[in-house]
Amino acid sequence: MVNNNYLPFKAKILDKYQQTELDWTYRLECQIKPIFGQFMEVSLPGVGECPISISDFGEGYIEMTIRTVGQVTEGIEKLNPEDYLYLRGPYGIGFPIESFYNKHLIIATGGTGLAPVKSIINYFYAHPELLKQCDILTGFKTPSDVLFTSDLDKWSQLFRVEVTVDKLDEFGNLEVIPNSCSRKTGLITSLIPEVQLPSLEDVRVVIVGPPIMMRYTAQEFLCRGLKQENIWVSFERKMSCGLGKCGHCKIDETYVCLEGPVFNFTKAQTLLD
Amino acid sequence: MTINTKRVMKNAWRITRDRNLTCLRIRVPGGYLPVKLLPLIQEIAERFGNGAVHITTRQGFEIPGIAFEHMTEINALLTPLIEELEVKIGVTIDQPDQGYPSAGTRNVVACIGNKVCTNAVFDTTALAKDIEKIIYPNNPHVKIAVTGCPNDCVKVHMHDIGILGQVEPLYDAQRCIGCQACINNCHKVSTGALTLVNYKVKRDASRCIGCGECVLKCPTAAWTRGGKYYRVVIMGRTGKKNPRVAATFLEWAEREVVLKLCANLYVYIDKHIDRSLPKEHVGYIVDRTGYPIFKEEMLKNVDLGSKAQLASILNFAGPMYDNHVSFLNT
Amino acid sequence: MGYKYTAAAFNQLLENLRKKHRVYAPILLKGKGKFSDADLVGYDEIARVEEVVFNQKSYFSPKETFYPITQTLFYFAGDEFKESVVDEKGIIVFLRACDIQAVERLDKIMLENGLSPDYYYERLRKHLKFIVMDCQESFDSCFCVSMGTNTTKNYSASVRYENGLYLSDVKIDIDGLFALYGEQFEVSPQFVETNKQMVQVPQNLNLESVAINPIWEEYGARCIACGRCTVVCPSCSCYTMQDIFYEDNPKCGERRRVWASCHIDGFTDMAGGHSFRRTNGERMRFKVMHKINDFKQRFGVHMCVGCGRCDNACPEYISLAHCIDRLGKEEVGNCG
Ligand SMILES: Cc1cc2nc3c(=O)[nH]c(=O)nc-3n(C[C@H](O)[C@H](O)[C@H](O)COP(=O)(O)OP(=O)(O)OC[C@H]3O[C@@H](n4cnc5c(N)ncnc54)[C@H](O)[C@@H]3O)c2cc1C
Ligand code: SF4
Ligand code: SF4
Ligand code: SF4
Ligand code: SF4
Ligand code: SF4
Ligand code: FES
Repeated sequence: MVNNNYLPFKAKILDKYQQTELDWTYRLECQIKPIFGQFMEVSLPGVGECPISISDFGEGYIEMTIRTVGQVTEGIEKLNPEDYLYLRGPYGIGFPIESFYNKHLIIATGGTGLAPVKSIINYFYAHPELLKQCDILTGFKTPSDVLFTSDLDKWSQLFRVEVTVDKLDEFGNLEVIPNSCSRKTGLITSLIPEVQLPSLEDVRVVIVGPPIMMRYTAQEFLCRGLKQENIWVSFERKMSCGLGKCGHCKIDETYVCLEGPVFNFTKAQTLLD
Repeated sequence: MTINTKRVMKNAWRITRDRNLTCLRIRVPGGYLPVKLLPLIQEIAERFGNGAVHITTRQGFEIPGIAFEHMTEINALLTPLIEELEVKIGVTIDQPDQGYPSAGTRNVVACIGNKVCTNAVFDTTALAKDIEKIIYPNNPHVKIAVTGCPNDCVKVHMHDIGILGQVEPLYDAQRCIGCQACINNCHKVSTGALTLVNYKVKRDASRCIGCGECVLKCPTAAWTRGGKYYRVVIMGRTGKKNPRVAATFLEWAEREVVLKLCANLYVYIDKHIDRSLPKEHVGYIVDRTGYPIFKEEMLKNVDLGSKAQLASILNFAGPMYDNHVSFLNT
Repeated sequence: MGYKYTAAAFNQLLENLRKKHRVYAPILLKGKGKFSDADLVGYDEIARVEEVVFNQKSYFSPKETFYPITQTLFYFAGDEFKESVVDEKGIIVFLRACDIQAVERLDKIMLENGLSPDYYYERLRKHLKFIVMDCQESFDSCFCVSMGTNTTKNYSASVRYENGLYLSDVKIDIDGLFALYGEQFEVSPQFVETNKQMVQVPQNLNLESVAINPIWEEYGARCIACGRCTVVCPSCSCYTMQDIFYEDNPKCGERRRVWASCHIDGFTDMAGGHSFRRTNGERMRFKVMHKINDFKQRFGVHMCVGCGRCDNACPEYISLAHCIDRLGKEEVGNCG
């Protein structure tokens, strides 16, 4: 009997903590061993299903950070520890983590794009010896959109963490951002010309965020002399199946749910919607 | 010169501005004319008239400029046309070689219907002909029009009886992909009778007017055409005093009902017309007798069936020129 | 092995096939055309061979017989998930050579793409048997010859109607019934070798130059994004999943999938209002490229099988055959 690849399994919510007004992180009881950058299809029966990146994982659990934007995510927000979510996955190609070893890793994110790379940062935070250097450049719309503030604070103990907001909100202050980080205003692209690149050959860049942010950020790094093959991005597309069947995520001959969501920039830059 | 104007006019000839000339009126039921009859019309216009025809709003021809003395000869010439357009469809005309036996009941007009039009719910000409068979020849001044769908291209709302096609859309939920083309289209061009519930479409039958737009827009044939029905609107008119848009009398009526109503209208007129007036128009008779009496007469021996909806009141709209109309003084 | 059948014999064959199979064929669906008093040739179960329409191409493709337009995947009640059930009957479909090739295209996506076969597709697909209907003459919009999809060997039996008899070439007899009711007779299936329109299929499209080709703007101005072309297409496979809960019992519901189309609004909508390919021209380009480029890059054959149904269905008279031909001629540089 073939496996029913559409039936989700049950996963208990172990913990839930708020990141921003709209973003919550859920820790779920789950035995899977994902690869950094993979995603799950998360179900709320009767409402729907949506792809969510695994933002972190460990023994017996995975974490997902979910922004409330629509029907399913609103429904999830109403759930609490001891409630259940329904999952299938993990799906997709994640980051080639081992190719970052002994390199200067730069992680540039926009908005919720920080979630899918959080597990990588935590991994290297736990194993800083695996990297030459790690810089985290992360941009948000306003100070109230800033995610994972305690993680940012933690990470800045070991890594250089720059946080920028496009603009100030009505409170007009950057205090929400841990002062261990460098706090800026302006688009993330404006940070890149300043980044110290002691050894260009060693630099590996991971960019995750909205499509425009990824395009221009990559552009800036290319201007700094980086090779395309040393840049990785993670795509978000409308997805329904996660299995390479429904066709929603297809770009050219590529299925983002199968060959992505993580793409090397050499491939990503050829993808034409 | 001596002529009996009443007889001349009843014979479908006109009294005109020119004391010596008359004008022939040819009716084309349903507005669909086999072109083999055109040479005859051309011949009459060229030999007896001024070489032109006027195409009337009632989908007929008027051939002007004919001397009164030619009436008998032309009536005889018309025989093949009357045979083809009237006798052949079942209209009873005792002496087809003597011209039209009456002119009060006007030609039944129709839009092009489903011979050509993608919107049309049915064959309008066929119904127009069946109505012609029932109501012609007859003297009361009655105008009936038939149109293929609620677009009402033929303006049945300006007629004593106007008939608009309605289709009952049938929905097969299994075939529906939830694209909402039907819903959006119904909102945009029709009455907004459709909504999306659980990714499938719900139709509010009380708002649906049976235009068939959902069927036309559905890519998967989840909507298809069910039964054909008719909206019957009544007592619309043009005219000096109170031109008005017809009001709905029935909707979702079956074809047989429509034909029966047309017949009953003449019984009603005969019973209630004020014979002291030169020719009382049916709309004014209804104004006089009131809706309940009209309704009772019209529905005599009519089985409305299960679908038909009968109007509780007549909802007319139109200016009243016999009342004061106020203008801004400029 | 070839057989001939009188209508009566074929009907006996059908009657017996129907004991263990649902038999689908293109039939005349009276009054089901979109215009009034118009019929439609579409698929439904048949009991008698006289119902089969041989002399027209079906408007809808056969795919709905084994890949339902709406399909329930599973039901949920509280915490419980219950998989939908299918009846275990076989599915026999009368269809054309191009249609069989199109099923092979669907198989590529549904069975081969990704890590595992699509459970629900496979569930019905494994019951599917083909009866190929001969094409003695090409219909107006066909361009199967240009796509190389005019013939097939992948069938249980073939069938054509000739001089009052039904002639079958039987490759894999179904329960021995074809032999039982037929009279042996030399039959080889007939396939067209030329179409009324021959199309120059481009060999090696360059995406970047295709993307800036001005023809998409022209198609964009014509296309109304109705999705008919993809809905009638035998090789389009896209779908969307939907969850519903029952109005009378909000604790219970089901997850379904329904066909979807890259031409229709919403196909790429993401939360936050972002979507890709907003213009109808971009969608046309995306569809055309899928049909005659992307799929081949992935699976080695073109997705489009040249059945011409999209041409027949497009309310704006957009012809995919013509579009392919334009791209092909532009490619070899002889667009006059
Ligand atoms: C690989 C991948 C990884 C992702 N990772 C994350 C992650 O880590 N965290 C995260 O927060 N998000 C992530 N996302 C995005 C996430 O999948 C979407 O935010 C989610 O699908 C939204 O689902 P929803 O049901 O809440 O919104 P929906 O309600 O489904 O909204 C989705 C779209 O549908 C439209 N829509 C919504 N409601 C309606 C309606 N009633 N009628 C018509 N249109 C409507 C919206 O305009 C929107 O464009 C990821 C996406 C992908 C592809
Ligand atoms: S009334 Fe309707 S059917 Fe008749 S011509 Fe107009 S749109 Fe067509
Ligand atoms: S147009 Fe057809 S397929 Fe689309 S929502 Fe309406 S009924 Fe469903
Ligand atoms: S794209 Fe058109 S011609 Fe090609 S297989 Fe689909 S419907 Fe047939
Ligand atoms: S053409 Fe469009 S609808 Fe058809 S399979 Fe390709 S992406 Fe899907
Ligand atoms: S059928 Fe024609 S108008 Fe409709 S989406 Fe396809 S190409 Fe566009
Ligand atoms: S999400 Fe369905 S094919 Fe990728």
